[in-house]
Amino acid sequence: MNVGLLLVTHRGAASHYPPLLERLLGRVPLPLELFELDFDIDLDAVLPDASGALRRADQGQGVLILTDLYGASPSNLAARLTQLGTPARRVSGLNLPMLLRLCNYPELPLEELALTAVAGGKTGVVLDHA
Amino acid sequence: MLERELTVSNRLGLHARAAARVVNLLSGFQSHATLECRGRSVNAKSIMGVMLLAAAQGTRVTLKLEGPDEAQAMAAAEALFANGFDEQP
Repeated sequence: MNVGLLLVTHRGAASHYPPLLERLLGRVPLPLELFELDFDIDLDAVLPDASGALRRADQGQGVLILTDLYGASPSNLAARLTQLGTPARRVSGLNLPMLLRLCNYPELPLEELALTAVAGGKTGVVLDHA
Repeated sequence: MLERELTVSNRLGLHARAAARVVNLLSGFQSHATLECRGRSVNAKSIMGVMLLAAAQGTRVTLKLEGPDEAQAMAAAEALFANGFDEQP
């Protein structure tokens, strides 16, 4: 069993990733769930739905939560999800290089997978030429 | 250790899908695999590594393989490169 991924983002910032990954890789090797947030939403009101998504992503090895912007509401919601009892870590700054890197190392345990996400996301930011 | 120079022959170069094909193929072998291009050496089993080569059509890359199945891996990789990653030329 692999760690699950849960993308928690602003509306429209996550839903394009699953079809893109399937197109690029053929299949996504980790459980992948999405939770997109509308603007001006009450975090308390959506916490139950978000925790449902967290539970769907968890196959017993914990969940790596990826969020688009640190400090924004999706990221704040993600922080609360890490406190519900399901082993979970949150990485902010979601990008495609990060997801590709995670799909490259799907068997890693949660802690190492979180570090891999951070490294992958940073590696993918390149000025002009690598 | 086996080392072979391969040419990226497809029109789009080592773009994301082609890189994924290379990584998927080589990940099926035990051998340690690196790709070198313009002085940069990357893990050929890492999609982001291969992407960082940004190898366009016509680029020559060096594949180095080391391990018990290096010959089979090299044959498979050569076929994939020769076939332009199964894409249109």
